[in-house]
Amino acid sequence: MSDKPVKFYSKDKAHQDAEKLLKTNMPRIESGAPGSETQSDIVATGSAASLGLKTDTKKPLLKKLFWPSLSAFVIFVAGYEAYHFIAGLLESNWLLGLGASILGGAVIVSGGYGLLKGWRARRRFKKREKQKQQFTQLMKDNSYGQAQALIHEVTQDIADHVHISTLKAQYDRQQQQVHNDQELIHIYSGSVIAGLDKMAIDIVTKHASEAAAMVALSPLAAADMALVAWRSSKMIEQLSKLYGCPQTALGRLEMTKRVFKNMMLAGASELVADAGVELLGKSLTATISAKAAQGIGVGVLIARMGLQTMHLCRPMPFGQENKPRLGQIRKSIYQKVVGLVKSASTGKSEQGIDTTEKKN
Amino acid sequence: MDWINKARIKSSDLIERSLDRNIRIAVTGLSGAGKTAFITSLINQLLFASNEKHLTFFRANSQRRIKACKLMQHDELHIPSFDYNAAINHLTAEEPEWPMSTKTVTQAQLKSRFTVANRWLRKVQSDSHVTIDVIDYPGEWLLDLPLLSMDYKEWSQSCCKYLSSERRHKYTNEVFQHISTLDHQTRKDELEISNKLSKLAKEYASSLLEYRKDYNDYATVLPGRFILPGDLAGAPVLDFFPILNQDILNLDWSQFDSNSTLAILEKRFNYYKNKIIKPFFHDYFSNVDRQIVLIDTGSALEAGYESYQDLKETIEQLLEGFSYGRSNWLKRLFSPTIDKLMIATSKADLVPPDQHAALESFMQKMVNQAKNNVDYEGVEVETMAISAIATSEPISTEHQGKRLLCVKGIEQSSGESVIHYPGKVPSRTLSREEWNELNIDFSPFAIPPLSPDEPLPHIRMDKVIEFLIGDKFI
Repeated sequence: MSDKPVKFYSKDKAHQDAEKLLKTNMPRIESGAPGSETQSDIVATGSAASLGLKTDTKKPLLKKLFWPSLSAFVIFVAGYEAYHFIAGLLESNWLLGLGASILGGAVIVSGGYGLLKGWRARRRFKKREKQKQQFTQLMKDNSYGQAQALIHEVTQDIADHVHISTLKAQYDRQQQQVHNDQELIHIYSGSVIAGLDKMAIDIVTKHASEAAAMVALSPLAAADMALVAWRSSKMIEQLSKLYGCPQTALGRLEMTKRVFKNMMLAGASELVADAGVELLGKSLTATISAKAAQGIGVGVLIARMGLQTMHLCRPMPFGQENKPRLGQIRKSIYQKVVGLVKSASTGKSEQGIDTTEKKN
Repeated sequence: MDWINKARIKSSDLIERSLDRNIRIAVTGLSGAGKTAFITSLINQLLFASNEKHLTFFRANSQRRIKACKLMQHDELHIPSFDYNAAINHLTAEEPEWPMSTKTVTQAQLKSRFTVANRWLRKVQSDSHVTIDVIDYPGEWLLDLPLLSMDYKEWSQSCCKYLSSERRHKYTNEVFQHISTLDHQTRKDELEISNKLSKLAKEYASSLLEYRKDYNDYATVLPGRFILPGDLAGAPVLDFFPILNQDILNLDWSQFDSNSTLAILEKRFNYYKNKIIKPFFHDYFSNVDRQIVLIDTGSALEAGYESYQDLKETIEQLLEGFSYGRSNWLKRLFSPTIDKLMIATSKADLVPPDQHAALESFMQKMVNQAKNNVDYEGVEVETMAISAIATSEPISTEHQGKRLLCVKGIEQSSGESVIHYPGKVPSRTLSREEWNELNIDFSPFAIPPLSPDEPLPHIRMDKVIEFLIGDKFI
């Protein structure tokens, strides 16, 4: 780029070209890398991890070897056994052997497909994490022209799974070419992502209150556990899809692991903040029944998991003001369970209703 | 249930008062920094805020909470009104022109009705209103602030030093001679020499004004009312000038008679200080909550090293007024209440958007020391590159095989559409050599056709509004 001032009049070729460019993509010029040189002093966005413990890349080789070698061994043994099994069957009866080999082939193909999808989902999740890092970096820098491509990418990802044309239109209306990266991200977060957040909160509320109700009514403790696993897995699936990085069963397992880890580590402070309200809830729930209290507990747990999943899947981190709070969801969980208990106990014990209403 | 309604109205009244939803914004800047355009745009954006959702970063607007805005007659009836309608008419006329510049203090009041956001407050009153007073006054007058801490002798000494510079000598040599050869000691009747003093004062002022016109330099040697007298034009209080004779400056002045020329000059200087500047700052400082200082960084960059240094010094002096420490004499005098200060570089529309960051950073470096002082006092300070009325749009083009982000506007001289690349804006302060090599051109564009039915195009006015008044819309 030249550093000297230039003027292009309407008879100049550059002027006409620019006009043409403006007409062809009217709302905004595709930001390839305009002004990439003027931005040279800005740190590359990749190097976001500036401070922190180094990850242990040098695990002992033998330790690293364990899982791959074990799985390879199991696969090898299973394959070997299967081969002998099918060969034996073929010898005795070719029809039986054919049937078995078709089944075996189906297992291999579908298993491989599942693995491939799981791998892709994992990659998608990794990509999302990288995007998040880039967004965080851009929010700090005072840069221009780099966020556009990133936002475009994220929008594409989301648009594959969700109808966001109205949100997108809102974003397009608000953004102008004069906005720098920080402002663009702010606008995007306030339009498209805020809309998704609202939907996500709805999903979390729905699943949490449903699970609470189910646990409150289910007669078996073992069934409770299954219920929690099922509902939470379903919720994670929907949430991840909503934010444009859908996870498969395998990926969800990994995600669940991450969610729990985050809940234990990062969620500690929120726990303290929530404790007060929870205590209040306990006195209420204790008067209803132990089972209902369990239901509410499970509902809150699932809601918390949902919020953590949102944190993980959201392309840009929450700000201080748009952070979703547990309070609102908890309210609807209570309402659902208390409503259930009420309708279940109508006519049976009027005293119980009285107390619940008073506390409510 | 009449008494309940009464109590409700009473309590909502009380809350309104206790929340202090009145706000006074002072708009400062040296002449040519774009104060009038800024205020026009500010009022314009707010007036449109109820119908349009165009101020993305002004939260009350993007949440659609603003119900209506209205221009009102302000309470301080002795201050002239800011003529918003005339300014808009100028801008949207068939041959648009910039609104008239600030010659004296003016004020505008805007009332805005909005839905309360805080859910506790909303239980008491669902709607509330904010009163916004915008005060416009010439930045030159603010430069009188340092005069308050000087006496006549000190002021004369600083003038002597200032006028001895090579660059200024050419302009002021003649008047320097006239003043320094004046007989300061003879006793005379004040009325008798009044004419002579008046003539000399005019000569002094006009020579410096001429220099100022060429170099756009501001300094305390030229008190603010000499530049823009406002309603003081022709009054004898302005007929004074510094003592430029070194011999007299070295003397003990107590030996001078009270009827001597020197004493008369000193009397006038003190009168100017105590009766003109002090009341002005008292009125101005005692009530202002928010302050915006506009700086035309582009012109400073164009003008070169010397002018940049002068401007830097001026801005520092200007901002000194806001660095009130607990022991500061200013604080004791006027008890100012400013809690937010924005330093904005105006006319950012002349620079392609990818260079706004550089422009802002350059300005930041320029005001760094002054900003630091203000920061220290706990005033919230923010800097930004803005354009109150955008006359251009960004456009990218090919130049020498590379993509180049430019601005497109209407050239002032020819009226032709032009795509302009102003050169590379430095993001840090430059050495003298680098200044000489600096090649930039911030020639202003003509005003594009604007419609009075649409909000004025702007750059980051929404952020400015959010910073200045956003916290009152809760």
